[in-house]
Amino acid sequence: MGDEQQAVQGEGGIKRSSRTRTRKKKKNQIPLGIMALVFIVAVGIILAWTVGGNVALFWMLGSSFGFILQRSRFCFTASMRDPYLTGSTSLTKAVLLAFAVTTIGFAAIKYGAFIKGLPIPGQSYVVPISLATVVGSFMFGIGMVIAGGCASGTLMRVGEGFGMQMLSLFFFIVGSLLGAAHFGWWKLNFIVRGPRIFLPDVFGWVGAVVLQLLTIALLWIAADKWAKRKSSSSSH
Amino acid sequence: MSKEVELDCLGEACPVPLIKAEKALEGMDVGDVLICQIDHSCAMKNVPEWAREQGHNVEVEEVDDGEWEVIIEKVK
Repeated sequence: MGDEQQAVQGEGGIKRSSRTRTRKKKKNQIPLGIMALVFIVAVGIILAWTVGGNVALFWMLGSSFGFILQRSRFCFTASMRDPYLTGSTSLTKAVLLAFAVTTIGFAAIKYGAFIKGLPIPGQSYVVPISLATVVGSFMFGIGMVIAGGCASGTLMRVGEGFGMQMLSLFFFIVGSLLGAAHFGWWKLNFIVRGPRIFLPDVFGWVGAVVLQLLTIALLWIAADKWAKRKSSSSSH
Repeated sequence: MSKEVELDCLGEACPVPLIKAEKALEGMDVGDVLICQIDHSCAMKNVPEWAREQGHNVEVEEVDDGEWEVIIEKVK
């Protein structure tokens, strides 16, 4: 009993009177982790031999991305929701930082192709913007807060074994299939009407990168200020 | 005599445990302890972060694989 009493008090010293459940001995997860790593590498090698190097690369990148996402508790949903809910903007700032890094990376890839006279990769993702973008993202925002995660977050938590989000994933797939089936109509009636803007066409390559980084920096400062203001007025 | 409240948030997705904890803590007195049981990894981050931000004493215990208890002592 003495041992348990000490465990209950913990290092921080919050006293607890009750201990409703006896602690189960935790299993060592390291052997499982090594097995998972071996499995991922083995599948990667098999994919490289049978299907091709590209697919193996996608497999490795996808697995690494999922691992980092889970360990870092990186969550796009929380980055948009927590500033309002708790006043915390730590994830908002993390997402902005990720945007800044990808801005530089993608600009380098695109500019690299551009100066060699090659077709710029990924230009099909420069899609028209319009009011439909605003309405669509607002709806997506409502959906992801209710579902408890965006696409990557839902996938990651299904991997963790969280039951409710398996339901989210199922309807996420249903919705995506429906959306894909009707996409032609939406594209024709709403999407193509907006202007298609590729920032380097308007501001030049340097201008576009500087402008985007500046915008991100301003949002970062705003997020920082927001968190400080919220925590100083949080006496409710 | 300080009381102790257990809050069962097992199976609840991200913002729900936080809101439940916020509501539960509101109705408690200084010195009371709230034990929030969660199994959503995201809530594992934002519940302690929020409670520390509010100035409460916070401890996190992993009770089982993927199951945590966030112990919050109301300070003010």
